[in-house]
Parts: sequence; C-alpha cells; structure tokens
Amino acid sequence: MKRRLSSIIERAVALTICFLALPFALLAEGPPKKSTLDNPMAVVLLVVIVALLIVIILMANVLIGTAQFYAKREKESRTALQNIAGKTTLVLLFCLGSIGSFAQEAAAAATAAAPKSRSVSGLSESTFIMLMSVIFLELIVILAIGFFLKRLLSREATPAVATEEALVTATPKERGLKKWWARANSFRSIKEEAEIDLGHDYDSIRELDNRLPPWWLYGFYCTIIFAVVYLWRFEISHSAPSSLQEYTASVAQAEEEKEVSLSKAASKVDENTVQMLDAAAIASGKTIFAGSCAPCHGADGGGVVGPNLTDDYWLHGGSLKDVFKTIKYGVQEKGMKAWKDDFSPVQIAQLASFIKSIHGTKVATPKEPQGEIFKETAAAAADSTQKSGQTNH
Amino acid sequence: MQLEKFYYDNRVVKWFAYATIFWGAVGMLAGLLAAIQIYLPGANFNHPVTTFGRVRPVHTNAVVFAFVGNGIFMGVYYSLQRLCKARMFSNMLSKLHFWGWQTIIVVGAITLLAGYTTGKEYAELEWPVDVAITIVWVLFGINMFGTILKRRESHLYVAIWFYIATWVTVAMLHIVNSFEIPVSFMKSYSWYAGVQDALVQWWYGHNAVAFFLTTPYLGVMYYFLPKAANRPVYSYRLSIIHFWALIFIYIWAGPHHLLYTALPDWAQSLGVVFSVMLIAPSWGGMLNGLFTLRGAWDRVREDPVLKFMVVAITAYGMATFEGPMLSLKNVNAISHFTDWTIAHVHVGALGWNGFMTFAVLYWVIPKIFNTTLYSKKLAGTHFWIGTLGIVLYAVPMYWAGFSQAMMWKTFTPDGTLKFQFLETVTHIVPLYITRSLGGGLYLIGVFLMVYNLFKTVKSGSLVANEAAEAAPLSAKPEIHGKQYWHRWIEKRPMQLLVFSLVAVAIGGVLELIPTFLIKSNVPTIAAVKPYTPLELQGRDIYVAEGCYTCHSQMVRPFRDEVARYGEYSKAGEFVYDHPFQWGSKRTGPDLARIGGKYPDSWHYNHMMDPRLMSPGSIMPSYQWMLDKKLDTGSTPAKIRAMQTLGVPYPAGYDQRANADLMKQANAIKENLKKDKISTPADVQVIALIAYLQRVGTDIKADKKTTADAKP
Repeated sequence: MKRRLSSIIERAVALTICFLALPFALLAEGPPKKSTLDNPMAVVLLVVIVALLIVIILMANVLIGTAQFYAKREKESRTALQNIAGKTTLVLLFCLGSIGSFAQEAAAAATAAAPKSRSVSGLSESTFIMLMSVIFLELIVILAIGFFLKRLLSREATPAVATEEALVTATPKERGLKKWWARANSFRSIKEEAEIDLGHDYDSIRELDNRLPPWWLYGFYCTIIFAVVYLWRFEISHSAPSSLQEYTASVAQAEEEKEVSLSKAASKVDENTVQMLDAAAIASGKTIFAGSCAPCHGADGGGVVGPNLTDDYWLHGGSLKDVFKTIKYGVQEKGMKAWKDDFSPVQIAQLASFIKSIHGTKVATPKEPQGEIFKETAAAAADSTQKSGQTNH
Repeated sequence: MQLEKFYYDNRVVKWFAYATIFWGAVGMLAGLLAAIQIYLPGANFNHPVTTFGRVRPVHTNAVVFAFVGNGIFMGVYYSLQRLCKARMFSNMLSKLHFWGWQTIIVVGAITLLAGYTTGKEYAELEWPVDVAITIVWVLFGINMFGTILKRRESHLYVAIWFYIATWVTVAMLHIVNSFEIPVSFMKSYSWYAGVQDALVQWWYGHNAVAFFLTTPYLGVMYYFLPKAANRPVYSYRLSIIHFWALIFIYIWAGPHHLLYTALPDWAQSLGVVFSVMLIAPSWGGMLNGLFTLRGAWDRVREDPVLKFMVVAITAYGMATFEGPMLSLKNVNAISHFTDWTIAHVHVGALGWNGFMTFAVLYWVIPKIFNTTLYSKKLAGTHFWIGTLGIVLYAVPMYWAGFSQAMMWKTFTPDGTLKFQFLETVTHIVPLYITRSLGGGLYLIGVFLMVYNLFKTVKSGSLVANEAAEAAPLSAKPEIHGKQYWHRWIEKRPMQLLVFSLVAVAIGGVLELIPTFLIKSNVPTIAAVKPYTPLELQGRDIYVAEGCYTCHSQMVRPFRDEVARYGEYSKAGEFVYDHPFQWGSKRTGPDLARIGGKYPDSWHYNHMMDPRLMSPGSIMPSYQWMLDKKLDTGSTPAKIRAMQTLGVPYPAGYDQRANADLMKQANAIKENLKKDKISTPADVQVIALIAYLQRVGTDIKADKKTTADAKP
C-alpha cells in the first residue's frame, strides 16, 4: 500500500514538473522572431536547454523518490526530513518559476530589440544572453538538486539499502552513482526477482514485471507534447515559417548583406563600369579561367565546345563590357552558364580582362570563327592594347 | 497430460545460416567495390556491368534482402519452432521458401547488373521479380502461421508478435509500392508519378528499414538475448508498450526523407513529429535488451555472443536517436543529400543488423551442430576488428557529410557561392578513402568468422532433427501469477495479425490517400508537357544506369541551392515522371535544372570522359553509350503504357512516335557536328542528351525556341 502511494506521489510530482516545464517547452520551440530558429547557434543552445531540462526532471524525480524512501525508513527523524523535502520542492519551484518569468521577459526584450543590435554568431545579443541565462539557471538547479541528493545519500552509510549486490563491493562514490541509476530506472533488486516473475516460460525464457523506466516514460510524454506543439505551430496557427517563407526570408536577408558588402567601392563593378585591369588581376583571371572555363573554351582559349576566344569573331559582342555581360548573365540557349552566383563582380572583371588579353595569341587548335567580326573602337582599343601589352612581356 | 514427442527442423536453419554468411560476404564485397569506385573512377572498369550506378543497387539489395533477409529467416526458423514447441508447419514449404528466396537473390543480382531496374531505391527489382517476391513471401507466411496454429504453447511470446507484424507490414509495403505497369518482359513504369511516387517510395523505403531491418531483428533479439545471457526478459510491460507504439508510429515517419522537397508541407510536418515520437518506442527495445543483461554483465566481458549483442543494441539505440534528430528540418537541411545519411544508415546496418547477425550465428551454429565454438578468441578478434571497422567507416562519413554541406552553403560577402560543386567533392576524397578502409576491416572480420564457423562445423555434426517433448495445447491453459489484459491477444494469432495490420495501415492511409485525391497538393503547371519519345528513351537510360544513385533532381528552396542550380523545384513539374527521380544523395550535383545549362557537345564529351569537361571529377565514364544502339523498337509500347497511366499523348501517337524520335535525334546529331563531333543519330548517348537537355526546362521563363517536336 505504502509503495503504491509513494509511486503515485512520485508520478504526480514528476508530471507537475513536466507541466511547469511546458511554457518552457513552448519557448524551446523558438523565440517569437521567425529567423532566430534558423540560426545554428540558437538551435544548439535550445537543444542544450532541453537536455538540461530533462536532466533536471530526472534528478528531481530521483531526489523526491529518495527522500520518500528515507522518510519511510527513518521514522524517528521524520519531521526533519520532511523539512528537507519541502525545502527541495520549494527551491525547485522557485527556480523553475523564476526561469519562466525571466525567459518571458527576455523574449519580450528580444522582440523589442532593434534589428541592428550587436550579434553573437548571428544571434541578437539579447536572445543570446537570454538563452545563456536559462542554461546558467538550469545548471544551478542541477547543482542544487545534486547537493540535496548527496546529502540524502550520505545519511545512510550502511549497504543495507543497496539495490544491487554489486553495490556491496563498490566505493561510496560508485555506490551513489549506481543508486542514482537504479532510482532513475525504477530498478528492483535482483534478489527480489522472484516476486516480479510473471511465471511465463517460453522455451525457458522467463519474463519479469518490471516497471517502465520513469525517464523513458516521461520522455515519451515529452515527445508527444512536442508533436502537438509542432503541428499546432506549423500547420494550424502558422506561427512557424513554412519552407518557402524561410526561403524568402533568407534571400531577403542575403540581399541586404550583399548590398552592404557591394557598397564598398572596391567590389562595385558592373557591365557599365568595368575597366581593363592590371597584370596582377589578369593573372587571377587566368587562374579562374583554367579552373572553370578551359573545359569548354580550351586551356589556351582556342575553343572546344565553346567558341574560340582569341580570334576576331564574337557571338555576343567583343568589347570588354560585352564579355563581362556574357560571363555574368550567360547565354542560356547556347549552353553558356550565368556565372553571377559563382564569381564576384571583381572576379568576373578579372576574367573578362584576361579574355581580352589573349586576343590574337597563337593557339594550338583554333576553332573555326563564329559570330561577327568585331573591331575595337579607337579609344577602347588603345586602352585594351596598352593594358594587354603589359602582360605580353 | 501425455507429453508429445516431436522434432525441431535444424536443417533449414543451417541452410539459411549458410546463405546469410555467403550473401553477407558478397553484398559487402559489392559495397567495398562501390566505396572504392567513389574515389577511383578507374575501378568502374569502363564497362556498364561494373559501373557504380549498377553496383550500388546490387550492394544495397544484397545486404538488405540477401544478408539480413536470410538472417531473419535463420532467426525465425530457429526460434519460432522452439517458442511454439512445434516443428515447422511443412518441410516442403521450408524448402520452397529457402530455394525461392535464393533464386530471387541470384536473379535480382543478375538483372540489376544487366541494367533492369525500376529506379526506385531499395525496390529496384523489375516486375517479374516483384511477383516472385510476393509469392515466396506468402509461402513464408503460410509456413509461419501454420506453425503458430499447431503450436503447443498457449500464448505467443513477444518475438512472435514482432515476426507477425513484420510479415504483414512487409507484404503491404511491397505490394503497394510495386504497383507498376509492365511495358515488356523486364521493363515497367511505376503506377505513380512525381510527388505521389516519391511519397509512396519513401513510405516504403523508410518502413523497409522499420519492418525489414528493425522489427524482425527485435524479435530475434527477444529470443536470442535472454537465451544467450540466461536471464529473464526485463519488462513484459515495456515489451507490450514499445511493440504497439513502435509499429503504429513508425509507418508515419516516411516523409522525413522528403523534407524541403516539393512534397506538401503538411505531410512533411507529420513526418517530423512522428519521427520525434519514435525515440521512446525505439529505445524501449534497447532498454529491454540491455536491462535483461542485469546480473549478467560479468559474462559480457567473456562471451563473444553477448559482446556482439551489446554493441548491436547500442548501435540500434544510437541510430534510432540520430534518426529523429535528422528528421528535424534544420538538421535535415544540412544532413540530407550528404554522406551524413550514409554514416547514419551504416551505424544501423553494420552495428545493429551486422553484429546481431554475427551474434546469432556464433550462438546457433554450435547449437545445431551439437558442439562448441571453435575459437572464442578468434570471435573476440572479429568483434574488435568489426567495431574498429564501424568507427573507421562512420566517423569519416559524418565528417565528410557535415563539411561538404557547410561548403555547399558558404557564400562570399559579395553574395556569390564560395565553392564550385567539384571543389566540395575533391575536398572529401581522403575521407572516402578512409571509409573504404573501415569497410574493408569489417569485411576481414567477416572472413575470420567464416573460418571460425567452418572449423566449428567440422568439429560437430548436424542434428538435423532435434528431439523435443511438450504437452499438447489444452483448452484451458494453467494460469500462473498476475494476468494482464494483453494476454487475451497473445492467445489469438489471427487477431494479432489483424490488429497489427490496422496499426500499420492507419498512418499509411492517412498520408497517401489525401496526397492522391486532393488536387491542391500537386498544383498543375500548364507549361509542363510530356516527354518526347527520344527524351523518354533517354530517361529510361538515365534510370537503367542508376544515375539517381549519385544525382538528385530536387532543388530545395534554399538560397545556396537556387544560386547553384536554379529555381527551386515545384510539385507540378513532375506529373509525368514515372518513376520520380528525386534521388537521395548528391555525390554529383543536382540535375533538376541541367536542361540547357551546357551545349550538347559538352554532354557528349562529358559522357565519354567526365574528366575532359570537369578535371578532377569522380564520375565514371560512359564510353559505351557513344556506340550502343538505341532500342527504338520499344517506343510504341512505352508510349502506350504512358497513355494508360494518363500521360496525354494524342491517340495513335505510338505509331508516329519513332518518326518524331528520329527527327529530334538528327537535330542533335547536326548540332554536335557543328562542334566537330560526328556520331550516328541512333545511339544511346543522343537519347540521354535529349533527356538531360529537357530536364527542368518546362517552367523556365525564357522559352526555348528549338524545333523540338513536342506532341
């Protein structure tokens, strides 16, 4: 009867903890800001938070169970022990409560924070601090539970309460761990095995009637709660982003970052402003050419699948600007890929400069001329010859 | 009560054990070859039969259906007789089952190597083999149920629940997924197209893992672990809860293989949450296994059988925890299409299935030969070599998967992709090499086992018919101890079968039916037209050569994928794809938008030798395609089959199709001639080029103005 009662109390307490943790589980789904969930840092921190929470639930369960165990054993000091158990619960409630309220505040702060606030690994500073504080508080709770657990366990030094024979030979530290493990799993002593033998005999395999490991059972409940919250957020309230919303948001953010980067003068170059570059830049262009262009245009630019780039004939215009444009946007129907997502504008300018620089060079097996003959305008020609001249010596 | 005398059939167990060992070695050798081919293109030997796209399906089918399949039957035939206290129902059926299954394996291996494939992963075997599998599976079912019905044990043990659930679910999965329309002997098209085909395929694929690699092996564990450890099963209650929860929840999780694809979002969400809920039911099996060893841990240190089992169960626990984590969208965004998945499945396959099989073999062979294991020490060596092999396999693959995914997703500050696809491949080649060493070690361990078991067999003699005694089943069995409500169904195998079927059917029905019937799940796109006859033939070559084993056709809505490959894929684009070819791994780049990206001549040269067009590429050469004639005789039948499946070719088009085919082939030939390539028009490579140039072009904004004859 007593055992039954205690197990009921135990379960009730563990469930209460689960529910106390619920607002927290909801929060673990992600702070209200949509994009924060994408951040790997945030995900890692949330995973840590949830893991620690599970540890807390487990340890609290063990602690309360142990407390009740001793409460029964040590009748003479009953009042004192109740005191401890009471205190523990109070501490627990206090910690969990404070985490909850703090988390809510911090979440509010995170929402209110200006978008340009400082960031830690792409996470807004306030969110980061909030998550770290939650982890910190969880660690304190774990330490507190651990402290009480240790105090309780060290009360009785005799191995009389050992749940495993092995405990007899174990050092006190090992014993503590084993006892903790036994409690976490609701182990019964192997000596008591006969009591829970179900009498089944299948080809001499017997079956025991051990209880479900509590952490396993509550873990199962937690995943079910997770499933409900997840489906609610993704399919009913739509407070979590769909795949396409995530995509749109990430592209928008990327565009912003790109703007910032490209606003720096050095990388700002397009088909209207491109200029013939110097020898060093042409050398960089040559490296890119060897890696990505040579398969189609030949290592020396004489043409293979793609056209000869050294002759006077051009399919899409032979000026530096035209070449830049052809590389950047590609010519889909002829099989020339658009390279704007692979190479930066500066790199494309280097490439275009390199291609202009090899005009007229002798190649091993030139491909037949394609397209229209192109003559440089006087100014451009002067500019082009002057620059490419530098590379020829 | 008068005891009845009867004999257990050990001969059939011996056959299945030998088949397990033999196919295990064959399947793993194929795997090792495939692993080497990935970094050494020369190991494809320039021959269609030995090329990766055909070797890889042989590896997966051999290890899953031949190695583990025979392992299941070995375990079931040994344990079922003893748990039912009865000989197998029919010696004839046992024999038919054994030889039928081996014939299927041999025919399967030959046809896969010959290029006959349905192109659906883990269900590649063509329709005549599918029919044979169904028949043999039914024979196995009759034999199993016959034994259960004439049992001398009133209640069914948990291992048998798992066997029954396995049997009924695999039957359901195989039949539903294999709906296909035969075009000719050894060629068929999947009944489903695009998104629907993908959903059915991964409902099947995921649950092949669940009900072929997991539940039967849990059953095997529930028998052989308590026997080997000589300990009672830890918790009967846990058995009940984790059994029903496992089979009910597992079936829903298939869509987690299709996260961020064109599959409707609601199905993806279901896949995620049911995967997460799977952790506890899966771990229930692990806990019941490991806790059964309480009080026997001292023997684990000495007994190789227990050692293998402990690592197997631990690997099972790791893989079933990792699986749900990989099902979370933000993790999946990194892991999917990379070697991370390969690492994950091999922890399960090498650890759980492999080690559990070895444990059973080391335990069962001495038993049926009435002797002791030749060398415990050698078995211990096998254990350590195998474990080291798993680590050497898995760690590099995790590393490769993670680092490649990170490279794919890296942008420069200017907003351009930092790495070309090929750079991300060459970066992980050293890890591929290490992986093959790990796999090689594991295989060496298997050879040690072969030697050890060979010597064991030599030292004993087979007890073909093992005598046993038991009382016949009485109408009112004795009741000892506490009775649980679940005891009711344990006496009723038919009800257990029906309830299991109901449990596994619910998830399937609720996911598949809406995807098929509700139109908004696959929004139509007007610009998407059926393939031309030449493209259709080219597509069949793409399927036959197993291009899908390395190339996906699914651009997910990620910034990096759209930048690298093009517009993300839409559900409506795949409505004429029988079968779908989304793939599951990107050893090479995605091809969903390959159409029009390169000139015809680029593809021609690339198929001849990929390293001409992209130096450092690890793709095999497909030189033979340049000369091999295209079989145009099959065109009319293919067009008619497609019409039956609802592809809108005009009536009577089957007779005109070949004329259009030649017209398009000649156009490509002329196009190639302009780039100094002379080739006949009626070769395979022309059809393949036609297909590749078509893929993903239908919805491109800039309409092509080619003279393609589109019906």
